[in-house]
Amino acid sequence: MKLAIVVQRYAADIAGGAELHARYIAERLARHASVEVLTTCARDYITWKNELPPGEDTVNRIRVRRFPVSTPRNPNTFGALSRTVFEQPHSVADELRWLDSEGPTSPDLIQHIRHQADAFDFFLFFSYRYYHAWHGCRAVPSKAILVPTAERDPALGLSIVAPIFRMARALMYNSHEERAIIEHISQRQGPGVIVGVGSEIPEHPQPARFRRNHQVRRPFALYIGRIDENKGCPEMFAHFQRYAAERPHGLDLLLIGSSVLPIPKHPRIRHLGFLSDEDKFDGLAAADLLIMPSQYESLSMVALEAWALGKPVLANGRCDVLKGQCIRSNAGLYYESFEEFVNALFLLEASGPLGGILGRNGREFFRRHYSWSVIEQKYLDMFRRLSTEPAPAVEPLPGFFARRSRVLPPAAAVVAAAPSGAEPA
Amino acid sequence: MADSWRESSLMSDINVRSESVDVEQIMRQIRARIREKRGADYTEAELQQLATVKLEKFLDPRGLRSDMVQQFRQKHEASPPPPNYEFEENTLFETHRGLLRAFRKLFRPLLKLFLNPDRITTALHLQSRINAQAEERWQREMLSYELLHNMTLEVTRLGIEVHNMKMRVESLSSRVDFDERRAKALEGVVQYRTPPVARQAPVASDTADAPGVAPSETDATGERRRRRRRRRRRPGGTMADAQGQNWTEQQGGDSAGDADDSGDAGDEPEPQGSTES
Repeated sequence: MKLAIVVQRYAADIAGGAELHARYIAERLARHASVEVLTTCARDYITWKNELPPGEDTVNRIRVRRFPVSTPRNPNTFGALSRTVFEQPHSVADELRWLDSEGPTSPDLIQHIRHQADAFDFFLFFSYRYYHAWHGCRAVPSKAILVPTAERDPALGLSIVAPIFRMARALMYNSHEERAIIEHISQRQGPGVIVGVGSEIPEHPQPARFRRNHQVRRPFALYIGRIDENKGCPEMFAHFQRYAAERPHGLDLLLIGSSVLPIPKHPRIRHLGFLSDEDKFDGLAAADLLIMPSQYESLSMVALEAWALGKPVLANGRCDVLKGQCIRSNAGLYYESFEEFVNALFLLEASGPLGGILGRNGREFFRRHYSWSVIEQKYLDMFRRLSTEPAPAVEPLPGFFARRSRVLPPAAAVVAAAPSGAEPA
Repeated sequence: MADSWRESSLMSDINVRSESVDVEQIMRQIRARIREKRGADYTEAELQQLATVKLEKFLDPRGLRSDMVQQFRQKHEASPPPPNYEFEENTLFETHRGLLRAFRKLFRPLLKLFLNPDRITTALHLQSRINAQAEERWQREMLSYELLHNMTLEVTRLGIEVHNMKMRVESLSSRVDFDERRAKALEGVVQYRTPPVARQAPVASDTADAPGVAPSETDATGERRRRRRRRRRRPGGTMADAQGQNWTEQQGGDSAGDADDSGDAGDEPEPQGSTES
């Protein structure tokens, strides 16, 4: 079997969620099939500037083929078009312009996919909202498998994405909540499975080494990820500062990851910067719990890693996916206000009554649903199933005049009208 | 202080005794507790809105102006309101000359032929009344302003008092918090034993309660315990570390004594490796 993984960026040191997800899946599926990655020369997800050389490359023994981005993103144009399609009545043509402006616009990549359609059994497209996934799915609909990595963001409400969800041969979801909203918006009824992604969990992380290397002497809660407004960090800082004032003997907060946001100067908040995977796992093992303040997640890999190491998670309850995972795993609590934050934090401390039990549940949840053998098997079962089922018909785009008619509702309103909340298991 | 205590006791209500937990149930308990504490079920957005009201600007003791009423009066005196003018039905035709008054009266029907002076009279009469009411309102405003001023002073004073109380509550709450934390840690590690010998023997000192300890040994044991009381947790060690290790208290006969020590703020259990024996 020959598989193509199509993703917006690909390199060993790119730590973005969907990109890392794609790399893990490529490396795992390479044990069962011949895998080639098709991607762009971009490294920066904001500008999509061509930084890597076009052509063939090998990353962790996986063959990678890169194509140049024809037009880097213009943030002003993209911002203006985003406001138009997300907040105002608009047309299909506006949405297509928005898609082009978002990028990474690489017609060469799409051309290659079209020409090499017969060379692969299936194309796995990652991240529904980008240029490569939309045009790629339309180029090879009979072989397209989409890994949407969708969050509850306004792009889901665009009228052009629903046909892509419907025409893909299969959807590999990250969570029950993602599946529910996509099926609601697109009315899709085809094959789909909730898979997610595993992680390379070290067998013997060393918490003592982490404490020694980073001079950590007090119990602490850990945040791992980009320190960014979109990740809910300002709210986490505000809550934690109030918590620290109320509980002088409580936990410290340690932050791992690059920061694009000023971090409050507080004696109990420490930023350790970007750390190696080894350090990260040592830190997780040393932590009392992991905090996940993000409101927009399709799957939190770091939460899964915390559970794999038997650590409870305190998640933002406004994120349906995280809340749903906490409930289904019985391995984490969630908050929607400061009071909930402080109460949950108290209960989850290692010296508290719950932390240990939830951690054990998390370990079991990870083993049952996110161990690599389970994930690989779900992909292989899907490939087997699709090879025997007929492909659905391709939906054409609206005609010239219909495409220009500004009758589509604001995408944000479409998403807001979709049902929300954690899904039962 | 009462709130802190209640919170601490409610925290212990959620202590989990079994391995199976229900996260949704725990969250319901947390929310019920928060509602009970607040007294009313405000949403976070409502609380944020309340918190953003700029009361501090008025209530900041450093910025408080004690001569506000005086300044208000001075401002009023600097630009006094214009005098009012009584305007009745005949005001328009009034004169002290009798002949002129007679002429005006005579030709009033003729005037009314060209314009309607009644409307002007009515409008000006109303304006006069409005001016009179404004003057009354001004007097009332003066009273309200004075009242507001006094309230501002009072609220500022209360604000300072609340601030002081908050600091005290915070200090007490931290002590309660620490005790709670230590109690939880002890619950997990101490094995309570009720030695029958100790119950039967009428002894004066609690150190003699330890089973198998000869009277001659009690002094040495007591000395060790006093030393242990003075020690705090190892630097660098966390509760997580502590829980994962064996404890001397689980093995020896000191458990009763340690349980008695629970009121001592500086006392925490120590791992076996660092305990004297």
